[in-house]
Amino acid sequence: MRILIADDHPIVRHGLKQMLASDPAATVVGEATNGDEALELARKVEWDMAIFDFTMPGRSGLDLLGDIKREFPGKPVLILSMHSEDVHGSRVLRAGGSGYITKDSAPQELSTAVRKVANGGKYVSASLAEILASECSSDPQKALHEKLSDREYRVMWLLATGKQISEIAKDMGLSPSTVSTYRTRILRKLGLTSNAALVHYAVRHQLVG
Amino acid sequence: MATRATDAPSALGPAAGEPLQRAIAEAEAPGEVPRAKILIVDDEPKSLYALQELLASLGQELMVAASGEEALKLVLRHDFAVILLDVRMPGMDGFETAKMIRGRERSRRTPIIFLTAQADEMNSMFRGYAVGAVDYLMKPVVPEVLKSKVAVFVELFMATARLRASEDKLRRLAAHLISVREEERTHIAREIHDELGQVLTGLKMEVGWLARRLKEPALLEKTESMSKLIDSSVQTVRKIATGLRPEMLDDMGLIAAVAWQAKEFQKRTGIRCRTKLAPETKLDLEVSTTVFRIFQEILTNVARHARATRVDIELELAEDQLRLEVTDNGVGIAEEDLHGRKSLGLLGMQERALLFGGEVSITGTPGHGTRVAVTIPLRRAGEAGGAAAATVRKANAPS
Repeated sequence: MRILIADDHPIVRHGLKQMLASDPAATVVGEATNGDEALELARKVEWDMAIFDFTMPGRSGLDLLGDIKREFPGKPVLILSMHSEDVHGSRVLRAGGSGYITKDSAPQELSTAVRKVANGGKYVSASLAEILASECSSDPQKALHEKLSDREYRVMWLLATGKQISEIAKDMGLSPSTVSTYRTRILRKLGLTSNAALVHYAVRHQLVG
Repeated sequence: MATRATDAPSALGPAAGEPLQRAIAEAEAPGEVPRAKILIVDDEPKSLYALQELLASLGQELMVAASGEEALKLVLRHDFAVILLDVRMPGMDGFETAKMIRGRERSRRTPIIFLTAQADEMNSMFRGYAVGAVDYLMKPVVPEVLKSKVAVFVELFMATARLRASEDKLRRLAAHLISVREEERTHIAREIHDELGQVLTGLKMEVGWLARRLKEPALLEKTESMSKLIDSSVQTVRKIATGLRPEMLDDMGLIAAVAWQAKEFQKRTGIRCRTKLAPETKLDLEVSTTVFRIFQEILTNVARHARATRVDIELELAEDQLRLEVTDNGVGIAEEDLHGRKSLGLLGMQERALLFGGEVSITGTPGHGTRVAVTIPLRRAGEAGGAAAATVRKANAPS
């Protein structure tokens, strides 16, 4: 497995090489420090897969990925990025990337990703999978919380962030008993029975941040 | 005071970069004292000559016209501090001339002093005021009276010009500060995110390497907690960098950034956001930044004051303009809050939009939410100065 790596930060390249060194099947055949260099290198040396930083000086990100995929359509590219998945993840996959992994992922996850991509697979992290799934179910009416009214939604959010009924009442200019009524209605609409379940629901659907 | 608006010192430059700095330098350069222009209109050469002699000592620029038609031609090309207008002239008389001068936007407010022979008496005097005379002098004029009256208008003209110049300077300074701040934010964000973030990444890899070689559980536990600390540092770095300037804006453009910001806002406040956005397109980066910052300011206001539970965000792109409309269902904004001392944020939005020839309109009824509409003309390359200049003129014009 001949691997091309590109990252403008020596410390990251160093770490990557160190990690890849533990895999006897992997050989780093070239290192680039920016996008243009990476493209040049890709044309010069024989390689099987590439690991590119998303943000580098000069050509980088989706532009670089596009160029590489155009010239070497069959070869897998794993994108390594400082940015969290929700920003670029699905775009990278759509642009032909074989995987997207954030730099703060655990080293084991990184080796898993490399192995998977090297074998022609696609690597999708758990959080990216979540994002892709929510993008697929693009009909927003399907989510239960979309059935809440705007006001119920905000009460739900305030409850999910740990606010007391009295605080919510003050915040929204409502009486505490009205807020309690809202709470009951929200739990019923979401099919939940407790505040704890509500918190869990909100976190799972990324409604709080 | 639309009359002199086009005379305002050089047009406002684009928000950033050298042209702006040059403009500021020009504005601050100690120029010569500008002279006011005075127009004297009289069909009698002798009278014209006498008036010129009289007013020469004021040290201003005197122009003369021997007829109403001639006067109008001059008014088309110059902005005058005051016009001395003879009432009785063959052809177009003084009243007609005054009417025409008043009829034009640019000279609508130029002071006119009518000169009349005493024989004309009172009724022509009233006619004169009706067409916009600000004063009346009987012929033969008393030199001192004429001089002091004209001097008053010259002083007024100069004061207005100075005020306008300083207004213009302040506006340009504000624009400069905005762009400097934006540059600085971008720079710091990138520095923090890239440099610090990468070092942390490297550190994380090193810790991982170490962990793979350790057997002792207590040490493994240490590397585990180190790794967690690094993770949370990375999160913090990301948060700070994104707070300074979202990378989305540079990487993916305005539309994606607005969608992202709306989603973040909903997550952070529990106020539901509905977006209706134009398909993603590449837009000018400065315009994108401006619209994005205005959008952020609007959301900040919603979170702070509106008590809203819902925000509707609509971004439309037409051939020549961008329109962003943000409507909330909160308590609405009261008229006095739109202009009060606390409305600096609103003023800031307006100023930002103005720099690109755009405008921000805010409408709200207490109890029924607030709607903020932002329109920015989309320019083709090289039109920046023109668009901005047009706006400044417009801004200076009275309504």
